[in-house]
Amino acid sequence: MALLSNSDIIEHWKSAAAPLLPVLHAFHDRDGHLSEDALRAVSDGLGIPIAELFGSVTFYHHFAREAGGRDAPRVCTGNICALRGAHELLDALRSEGATPMPCAGRCDQPIPVLRGDKVFVGLTADSLAHGPTPLPPRYPGDGEECVFSAIREPGRATLPGYRNSGGYEGLEKLIKSGSPGETIELVNESKLAGRGGAGFPTGRKWQAVADAEGESKFIVCNADEGEPGCFKDRAIMDHDPHAVLEGMIIAGYACGAGQGFIYLRYEYPETFAGLERAIADADAAGLLGENILGSGFSFRIDVRRGAGAYICGEEGSLLNSLEGKHPFPRNRPPFPVTHGYNQQPTAVNNVETLASVPHIARRGAAWYCALGIGDQAGTKLISLSGDIERPGNYEVPLGLPLQTLLNDWAGGAPHGREIQAVTMAGLSGGFLAGADLNVTLDEPSIRSCGSFLGAGGVIVFDDSRDMVKAARDAMEFFAHESCGKCFPCRIGTQRLTERLAGEAGPASLADWKTEVEDIGSTMRATSACGLGVAAPMITDSLMKYFPDKVEKHVQT
Amino acid sequence: MIVDATQGRALRMTLDGEEVRFSDGETIYEVATRQHTPIPTLCYDPRLEPFGGCRMCVVEVEGARTPVASCTTPATAGMVVRTKNVALEKHRKTLLELVVSENREVDVDPLRGYASQEVATLVDEYGARTGRFQGQRSGTSNETDDNPFIKRDYDLCISCYRCVRVCAEQEGDHAIAVMNRGFQTQITTEFNGRLKDSACTFCGQCVQTCPTGALGDIKAMRAEPLPGELKKTRTICPYCGVGCSVDLLTKGERLVGVQPAMDGPANKGALCIKGQFAFDFVHHEERLKTPLVRGDDGELHEASWDEALDRAADGFRRAREEHGRYSIYGVASGRAPHEAAYTMQKFIRAGFGTNYIDNCSRA
Repeated sequence: MALLSNSDIIEHWKSAAAPLLPVLHAFHDRDGHLSEDALRAVSDGLGIPIAELFGSVTFYHHFAREAGGRDAPRVCTGNICALRGAHELLDALRSEGATPMPCAGRCDQPIPVLRGDKVFVGLTADSLAHGPTPLPPRYPGDGEECVFSAIREPGRATLPGYRNSGGYEGLEKLIKSGSPGETIELVNESKLAGRGGAGFPTGRKWQAVADAEGESKFIVCNADEGEPGCFKDRAIMDHDPHAVLEGMIIAGYACGAGQGFIYLRYEYPETFAGLERAIADADAAGLLGENILGSGFSFRIDVRRGAGAYICGEEGSLLNSLEGKHPFPRNRPPFPVTHGYNQQPTAVNNVETLASVPHIARRGAAWYCALGIGDQAGTKLISLSGDIERPGNYEVPLGLPLQTLLNDWAGGAPHGREIQAVTMAGLSGGFLAGADLNVTLDEPSIRSCGSFLGAGGVIVFDDSRDMVKAARDAMEFFAHESCGKCFPCRIGTQRLTERLAGEAGPASLADWKTEVEDIGSTMRATSACGLGVAAPMITDSLMKYFPDKVEKHVQT
Repeated sequence: MIVDATQGRALRMTLDGEEVRFSDGETIYEVATRQHTPIPTLCYDPRLEPFGGCRMCVVEVEGARTPVASCTTPATAGMVVRTKNVALEKHRKTLLELVVSENREVDVDPLRGYASQEVATLVDEYGARTGRFQGQRSGTSNETDDNPFIKRDYDLCISCYRCVRVCAEQEGDHAIAVMNRGFQTQITTEFNGRLKDSACTFCGQCVQTCPTGALGDIKAMRAEPLPGELKKTRTICPYCGVGCSVDLLTKGERLVGVQPAMDGPANKGALCIKGQFAFDFVHHEERLKTPLVRGDDGELHEASWDEALDRAADGFRRAREEHGRYSIYGVASGRAPHEAAYTMQKFIRAGFGTNYIDNCSRA
């Protein structure tokens, strides 16, 4: 096939919604990198000043600016992979131009290596293999699952398979015999709250979008899943993509939106292909597009791939990235529900949140509520990884004791070792250790320990692990991903990393602790977005649970 | 009285214990400034969209979990705001200590630019020269850009993005880029190149809004070693007819630089390359100080204004007599104000009877 010309690419995308990312990917795919010539063509074609375009391209770590860069191997040196020899694997692949990448969201598998459009996993260079995303382990609990309840059904990822196991029944029910208002009421009654980490009640968010004035409204599915130790959204999208689409269509119906976007992280190329397939199938079956199921309601979905930037999981950054702007977080207020994509009312929901909706629509709000334990409503997916016998994605009833998950469900630490600490919210919740491992998996319990559940990533460290090193790796990630907009985060994450690495900082323990606490306190109080607010939980929890290790670190 | 037009009654909030009125759309920072309540800032420039980067302007709002940036947060009715307390002042000091720690130096000559003393002033106010938070420094100075106007000393940059924003929002050039992210953030131009290969028009506004002197006025900086006090004299730019207000910088009897007046009604801190940088003619050794007329020997000789004007008038008269009125063509200077340009065309049309009159701005 003849290569597309610059103008072919630009003409193809120019009038599409959110065109910048797909245009850049088209050039990146064609040339293997983003050349100056390509960027100038994009700048002219889309009317974006070249300086801004250049700057924004350098923001994303997966856009290669050197020839051959796109297809050179990228080795995950994330927090868990680093424990498993990622740096040795990286060295072994250096001759092929390999570079490191932060957590690529496959922490339940061997080390991932991204090569162009394929992800391989393995512990050594000669054992790298390409394969499907693992299904969640068989449900070990005695309750009931929601999001994962049908994910293991054969063929569930296809449209016929999805429909055979109850798929699109919820949408049909709501759209034919319900109303947008009743849909929102249903979600309100289910007490479903944002599963990406913020925990905002989903029904209230949809209501705000439905009530907001705007020429057009949007649904954005946040599939950026950049939090280290989180890989649940990929499992849903790979094995149950229509659940995400159905959730989005229901959201669109409830909010009065006509367009949806899935903002997918770059590191999931196979997922991108799968989602595109599912959208095409749903389109062909009249479940997407004009006049869905004869209801008069129309809705389309486009997938947009990110290009490597953790901060694009923050909704303001995500929206700026979609719009082709520099992906800094936005100042709030105003919030996306009134001023989102293109300043129009927008519901930004996580994959897991949206994938819960079809089940709620089919089985009812009361059913969903009752899945939680005690006062807690519903379920939460936990991505469990690190030093644990059976890593993977588990759907827990909210309120389940952490120890039950770690020991009864997942088999505890391997090789007869003890669990020393776990992280919460991927890395953003810092560490829990000691008696605080007796929390239950719900926000009130975890927040009482100064942490939070967030997106549900739990990384386990056994008693052989160096916790100062673990903290340093975590802070290095935050420093690498800090966007650079606000001072406390931009400088603070760097200074905390240097102190945890022993590269800079006072020699006296008291001064060291004062510096680290002062930086952390100012980051928490003044940072512009959640990254800078959360990052010092790493240092706070390290000093709280492992004071002796901190002392040893500072004194040597 | 400031009244919210939609309500027909005053909106009220509490600022440091005092009830104050505000109008719809004002930010907390704007209300405070109007009330003469100072709030420190580093990334703020009143001419630009609020950015919320430096976080120096955080204030406490009753009911909010954490302090909010006053520059980006709209005032709302009934809001209770505290602009200063022990905790806020400590955060501000910590932020300044962090800023000091990332830079090569804090103290720069005021000749670098209009806002160049902002960081040093705040650092002194908060006693932030403590030497805490040592570590790597941020930003790499561009030593290879050989342009004669703008020093790009990014070792002093604190990534406040005022230069980026003034270039985009005020000048409309979009010449300045933000490369990389986090601590690796680097202010630069397209493809990390030279200013003259970018969309830069050398208006100098980035220099004048820079709060650290990372961007410096190279021409003014030549006078750093000169003795004497730096004096500013407000006047109007002598170039085109817009009438930009400028402050001429002098040391003794010497003009050493130009800065735009931020409150200039015609320019509000803007200048162009000529008004900003083209002042060397003032002290130039070849500058004409008297009229010159050409003698019979073919050389130019100093003359009085009367002699020179008579000679010019003779020349015009002779040209018209010998070659007709269309042999005269007038070009008015772009530096002339409206009134002078009008007089010029009148002179050509009424005086010579020709419409051959133009203005150099059209060239």
